[in-house]
Amino acid sequence: MAEIYGWTGKILRVDLSKEKITTTNTMKYVPSLIGSLGISAMIAWEEIRPSVGPFDPDNRLMIMVGPLTGTLASGAGRVEVMGVAPQQHPPCFSRSGMGGHWGPELKYAGFDGVVIQGRSKKPVYVWIDDGEAEILDASEVWGTGTYSTTQTLRRIHGKKTRVISCGQAGENLSRIAIIQTETENAAGQGGFGGVMGSKNLKAIAVRGTGGVEIARPSEFLQLCLNQSRDGQRPPRPGSDTQWPSERTLYGPNFRRHKCGFCSTVCTNTIYMNVPGELVPALYTTEQMCYGYRTISHNAQTEVRVITSNYGINGWEVSSGIIPWLQLCKQHGLVSDIDGIDIPVPEKPIEYLRDCAPSPPEFLRTILRKIAFREGEIGDALSDGACYAADRLFESKGKPLLDHIYPRHGGQVEHWGGHWGPGGNVYWPWWLPPVLQWCMDTRDPASDSTHQWTEHVQRYLTQSGPDKGPFPLEKVRAVSEKVYGDPNVCDPSFDYDPPETKAIPAIWHTDRGMIVDSLILCDYENTRVFSMRSEDGAADTALMSKLFSSCTGIETSEEQLQKAGERISNLLRAIDIRNYGRGRKVDEKAIDVGFNYPGKDDGVVLDRKRFLKLIDKYYELRGWNKINGWPTRNKLEELGLKEIADGLEAIGRLG
Amino acid sequence: MARVDKKPRSNPRVAKSGVINVDNRKCLECRECEVACSLYHEGECNPSLSRIHVDFDDFVPSFPTVDLCKQCTWPACYYTCTSLYEDPAMYIDPRTGARIIDEAKCTGCGSCATTCPLMPEKIIIGYRQAKGKRTYFKCDLCKDRAEGPVCVEACPSMALTYVPAAERGR
Repeated sequence: MAEIYGWTGKILRVDLSKEKITTTNTMKYVPSLIGSLGISAMIAWEEIRPSVGPFDPDNRLMIMVGPLTGTLASGAGRVEVMGVAPQQHPPCFSRSGMGGHWGPELKYAGFDGVVIQGRSKKPVYVWIDDGEAEILDASEVWGTGTYSTTQTLRRIHGKKTRVISCGQAGENLSRIAIIQTETENAAGQGGFGGVMGSKNLKAIAVRGTGGVEIARPSEFLQLCLNQSRDGQRPPRPGSDTQWPSERTLYGPNFRRHKCGFCSTVCTNTIYMNVPGELVPALYTTEQMCYGYRTISHNAQTEVRVITSNYGINGWEVSSGIIPWLQLCKQHGLVSDIDGIDIPVPEKPIEYLRDCAPSPPEFLRTILRKIAFREGEIGDALSDGACYAADRLFESKGKPLLDHIYPRHGGQVEHWGGHWGPGGNVYWPWWLPPVLQWCMDTRDPASDSTHQWTEHVQRYLTQSGPDKGPFPLEKVRAVSEKVYGDPNVCDPSFDYDPPETKAIPAIWHTDRGMIVDSLILCDYENTRVFSMRSEDGAADTALMSKLFSSCTGIETSEEQLQKAGERISNLLRAIDIRNYGRGRKVDEKAIDVGFNYPGKDDGVVLDRKRFLKLIDKYYELRGWNKINGWPTRNKLEELGLKEIADGLEAIGRLG
Repeated sequence: MARVDKKPRSNPRVAKSGVINVDNRKCLECRECEVACSLYHEGECNPSLSRIHVDFDDFVPSFPTVDLCKQCTWPACYYTCTSLYEDPAMYIDPRTGARIIDEAKCTGCGSCATTCPLMPEKIIIGYRQAKGKRTYFKCDLCKDRAEGPVCVEACPSMALTYVPAAERGR
């Protein structure tokens, strides 16, 4: 076998039922499927049957890294988790990602991923040490939180050990349990912590001292060093850098922290020695992404520690469950939890910002009830608001979900111009993200919508209240160059012509698949605009250049984009074969969600005109317009003949 | 390359070296410096072959530790090597002043690493083992790189700064 660059060439397969550990060759899946997400999609197609539920032993929990993981490429610290996801409503094969230092450590230990199947008889954890793996008894850490699990395993295996684990929520098969690494990085959406718990798997600890071989080191080094550090958002007027100033880079009670192996402008903060409101302890934890509306910063920090320690999806609790409970109280369905009043604002809740701040006692109670499935309400909420609404309050809370959840996916709306969390997306910029919501199996913000909403939208001088640096002509010229259509980034076009919205939805989804497979960070890739180049266009071929010089397999931008499309279609095929996905399900996102003004501008989604966008999306994808299934032509063009055969056998070929 | 018994001699002063200064409070714990270093020197991304090491614990309320050769003005490693060997592996780079191990000449005795006064041991001067022989390596300030040390360029938060010999204090 020729020497392999980029990948390590081995995927670890752990069967917990048979207590058997084997390895598979990565090279039979790549380069056509790139890595991580692509590989696990193929494994899922081959091995996960339609009847497999999220907590069944037959479910595969795939925690994978890609060819660029652990290299100098910015954003190379990420790891992707795949499997049948319990949080999805109804459950389906989906994905979730996290940063941190675990992924690179796995790569340095000599593996491109871990695929876990079966169910152990007693609690165990997997210890991977430089090419060797073993299943060890986890009775010492079972029942403890993620923080103490990590620290205990570091005491046993050395302080440089990197650990992913599930907390008590995962052990109790909560559908909103996360897989946690370090203090804040977690694979949140999807509920994969519960999948770990269902397999009696507490943690995976890794230590590796190897490296990632690069095919053309000097070229790769130069590419990485030249990689723009502009950040996704254009710099504020008057400043040439987005870096926090020295004054905000550190302080007596905080330091800045990044996910591993990333040089982009985004930083998280580790707050140090924060006194708690509930317990007079000193907390040290990283904070990013979501936030609770509560009474003070100290309370916020403390509640986040509780959330991460239990291994609960804080995003779902803070912007899904709690607002839903407040809505329920406003409609007279519930008033308190364990005698603690649910806080409600005086006026009816329309947006997330209308919600009332919660006192820390309330948050602590609700988190404990979720983690341990305490009582009827705790048991229901432990499955997330979508499942809870089916069971609680005689299903009267169900219509109230519409503000918060687009329903299929079972995840809180965000970056779609509606509901609050995430940033501001203005009309008509939110049309492509809503289109992505329709097609995806999860909240597409993990890999696809950020590129459009955080980056593309913000370069134009007039897009909502945000003022970007580029005039319309320049934006149109770049748009022509990148998407092949100048109207794509022109906000004067909304539903017509439909390709102006379908093109970016497809383009960024496929890019997202590449990002998840290489793996890089979607905050960093792909960029469309750049402050550095003369014409204002970013180097969209960057990912293919990085891939080529890292693996030594010459790949053009078009070829890599094709690979992204291949993975998109493969995921779609799994969804169609196993879960009956089709146009009807796709339209559900606009049937129940997105049907009220997302902003104060009062613009409501026009269902009839939006259906034309869906038509166009299918047409450009090469899918059947009536049922939304891929056609044989398309699948064969992408080299997925056996997938087409598989779909034809069950009569679901477009 | 045989070891010779020589009379201890007074060590001649060597030229001052440039140095990479570290402000560990600014360090973002991303470890880009580690992979940049190993990529430049070894052609692979491998923190254990890096000349710079970031040690942090996210549960601990303190700033990270960045371990990197300080290119001492009185370099114990260099003096040890030169006093032990007729044809020593260590030399002083004329341009940057870096104290460097010539890996072709290194016998793998490890004296440089044991005399290094900086803690923790064997971190500043590391080694790789191949065919039963150790070869030691340490930071050479990327002496052949026109743009200066690669870790300084890779650091996103400018926690690392390069100070040339002429501007270095005592």
